[in-house]
Amino acid sequence: MKVALFVPCYVDQFYPQVGIATFQLLEKLGVKAAFPPAQTCCGQPLANSGCEREALPIYRHFVETFQDYDYTIVPSGSCVYHVQKHFDKLEQTPAVQHVRATTIDLIDFITQVLEVKELPGAFPHKVGLHLSCHGQRGLHQANESEITPVRDGHLRRLLAGLDGIELTELNRNDECCGFGGTFCVSEAAISGRMGHDRVQDHLRNGTQVLTGGDMSCLMHLQGIVRRQNLPMKVMHAAEILNGMVV
Amino acid sequence: MSNSRERMLAAVRANKPDETELPTVPEFGGDAALARFATVLASIGGEVVQLTSLADLEAKVHELWPAAKLIASPLFPPTLAIDANTPTDVLADVDLAVLPGEIGVAENGAVWLPETNMLHRALPTVTQHLALVLDHRRLVATMHQAYAQLPEGPGGYGMFIAGPSKTADIEQSLVIGAHGARSLVVLVY
Amino acid sequence: MSYLTHSSRAEAFVLDHERTSWHDETLWFVRQKRDKAVYAVPEFQELRELASQIKNHTLSRLDYYLEKFEAAAQANGVRVHWAADAEEHNQIVLDIIRARGATRVVKSKSMLTEECHLNPYLIEQGIEVIDTDLGERIIQMRDEPPSHIVLPAIHLKKEDVGETFFQHLGTAKGLTDPQQLAEAARQHLRAKFLAGEVALTGVNFAIAETGSVVVCTNEGNADLGVSLAPVHVASMGIEKLIPRLSDLGVFTRLLARSATGQPVTTYTSHYTKPMPGREMHIIIVDNGRTKQLGRPDFRASLKCIRCGACMNTCPVYRRSGGHSYDFTVPGPIGSILSPNIDLKKHSTLPFASTLCGSCTDVCPVKIDIHTQLYKWRQIVSEANHLPTVKKVGLKFMGSLLASPTAFKISGSLGRRALRLLPHGLTHNKTVNAWAIARELPEPPKQSFREWFAQNQPESNA
Repeated sequence: MKVALFVPCYVDQFYPQVGIATFQLLEKLGVKAAFPPAQTCCGQPLANSGCEREALPIYRHFVETFQDYDYTIVPSGSCVYHVQKHFDKLEQTPAVQHVRATTIDLIDFITQVLEVKELPGAFPHKVGLHLSCHGQRGLHQANESEITPVRDGHLRRLLAGLDGIELTELNRNDECCGFGGTFCVSEAAISGRMGHDRVQDHLRNGTQVLTGGDMSCLMHLQGIVRRQNLPMKVMHAAEILNGMVV
Repeated sequence: MSNSRERMLAAVRANKPDETELPTVPEFGGDAALARFATVLASIGGEVVQLTSLADLEAKVHELWPAAKLIASPLFPPTLAIDANTPTDVLADVDLAVLPGEIGVAENGAVWLPETNMLHRALPTVTQHLALVLDHRRLVATMHQAYAQLPEGPGGYGMFIAGPSKTADIEQSLVIGAHGARSLVVLVY
Repeated sequence: MSYLTHSSRAEAFVLDHERTSWHDETLWFVRQKRDKAVYAVPEFQELRELASQIKNHTLSRLDYYLEKFEAAAQANGVRVHWAADAEEHNQIVLDIIRARGATRVVKSKSMLTEECHLNPYLIEQGIEVIDTDLGERIIQMRDEPPSHIVLPAIHLKKEDVGETFFQHLGTAKGLTDPQQLAEAARQHLRAKFLAGEVALTGVNFAIAETGSVVVCTNEGNADLGVSLAPVHVASMGIEKLIPRLSDLGVFTRLLARSATGQPVTTYTSHYTKPMPGREMHIIIVDNGRTKQLGRPDFRASLKCIRCGACMNTCPVYRRSGGHSYDFTVPGPIGSILSPNIDLKKHSTLPFASTLCGSCTDVCPVKIDIHTQLYKWRQIVSEANHLPTVKKVGLKFMGSLLASPTAFKISGSLGRRALRLLPHGLTHNKTVNAWAIARELPEPPKQSFREWFAQNQPESNA
């Protein structure tokens, strides 16, 4: 299996440890991922801002970069959702169709392709799982409270398998964190308020470590945690599953 | 006016999407028991009272509403005669209306009341208190089944009534008795 | 002409932290009641699919159903009118009122009449129009628009209502008990019902098969108004049609559960024929709907049954309030309906969202709301309605992100700048909106690609 890693731009620049954890975790599972250095971005920030047309060259570049791999793994449901859903604007060549079908979120790759049910390790902390909207509602990685009261999902199961871990029961299981890409600056007041409320939900219910599958959400929430000097750590699930000790 | 009609219909024809199929709505079953109907009705502010038989109706009405003076009903000698020509100021004074319901819906506590059972169209909502009399054999589980019992259509005017009138428009505080009847009892025989 | 944006209104709303919490919690509670009702119906998701298909089918044969509906209604002795726009609708209503020599009108909730600005039009003509839905009556007294299509006064606390009733109904100053306030409104409105000459209603569902219009209320105000007045005028958008009476089985099971978590509204009233000696009119209104019908990406928004579930679930709506949208129908559905009416005025509404998708999940007729929000953004951008700063910034970003070299360089420059520049500069709230509520991430020494190149040289593709 020939596999490549797509590391979202902000992860590459500001959270390299998430990329490293992703790479190392895959290696532990017997998958040696390549990192095509020509990669840039999935184009979502532009497309969500209304500039889909300007994003087309970025889409094409993405397809060119990853077309020869069996899977393109991304530690971000958000980017994967964008590729799967919005690359329909490109002419659907075999390469485009292939890349759309095989660009996959890290957790989905582990649980759905490698069919790993449990990962070894201990993480004796109270962990708050933040479900990213694109991952949950877009990629159906977890149950939606709009549909069912049953809490379940790919990442939840992997985390629950770690020794000593306790998952926080939130007041609002899957409310959006408020990042929303350029929304965080164009509607800064609402974005800040939404993030504040998410963090408070975790704080109120005892979260010690806030995690999830999307660094964009976590970057936003971490920014608030740090500004308010709250006793909460924020890290990507890849870091926890890779055996990070806290 | 006909100009707008033609222009609107022409615009619809030009702009409508390709035809898609009208689905067949399946037979959704469910619990049509009186116990369920009663529980649901209680949860929405209404009440079920059982009659041993229709013959007990008048006595039961006087037992449940001893203070009601102006009572309208087609089911027993009323204290106030109401028909389609009754003027508004008379309608306005009705304390209690006791009317025959036709179908009961267990999933939501609703009762179908057609115009032919209302005496006057305003009566079900202008009365201060409302009682609907229902044969327990006419309970169905869902709205699908209820509508299936109206093959002739809804008549000139008809309503499903589920409980007393209510509002939560003042800071989401539930108030029973908005503009329609302040209370609703379903007398089941 | 410059318009206030959603974000500037939202910013003002959210300044009051406590009140925002209250507004947000109140609407979230309604969402929770909806959830409870939905979980209790095992076939709820199937019902949504059926409703969606019924509406899709109806829109695909809308001309047929409109004519069928009109014929059935006319056979019932109902007068059917067609109004291309708001002005024509309002004129028709006025003509009907004038023909009776009437001056006292009672009106139950109709977002369509709100959209047409009917009330001010009639009032200007010397007609008394009383909104009889309690929430609408409250805001009518306060001269405010509704902030929610189902819960028009949701933005008001009982103290606000008490103050308004003190001023307009002569209730005791400081009275805030909802029971007592509602009783005062009951007495006040009862007098209006009894004196009503023309009753205006909206339409929840128009049945093509029988020519009936169906109105759903909890208060009974539609029925009281209509049954006591000699003239009934029902206003409906073209999209309110459904084919068969039996289709109501699907819609009545979805509407109230989605809107408020009730299994059904107190009253589901089917108006088919006028009482002998009385008049019934139906006004079928376009006002931009046929235009939306002609937009393949957006026509599904016409399936809307006006339940308001999308508003209750929207984290942005709950924290910014309905008035911040400045459109008759606010929230997610309003943000995909309004650009069709005025793209420029409502250009910021499709952006008043994180595209979380919760609205799409709760919509009883499966409108792909968040996808339409995304698509309207493209149209706004192409029509050149993006704010200049945003436009230029994004174009620059585009060229950067298409070039691996430019991307690499700018990334490392950015990190170095963040490390070296003082916090006060990098986190200046005037130029850096991110920094208003958050810290920027700590800039690491090495990017991932630098680490990879160093540590995995043989794995480089």
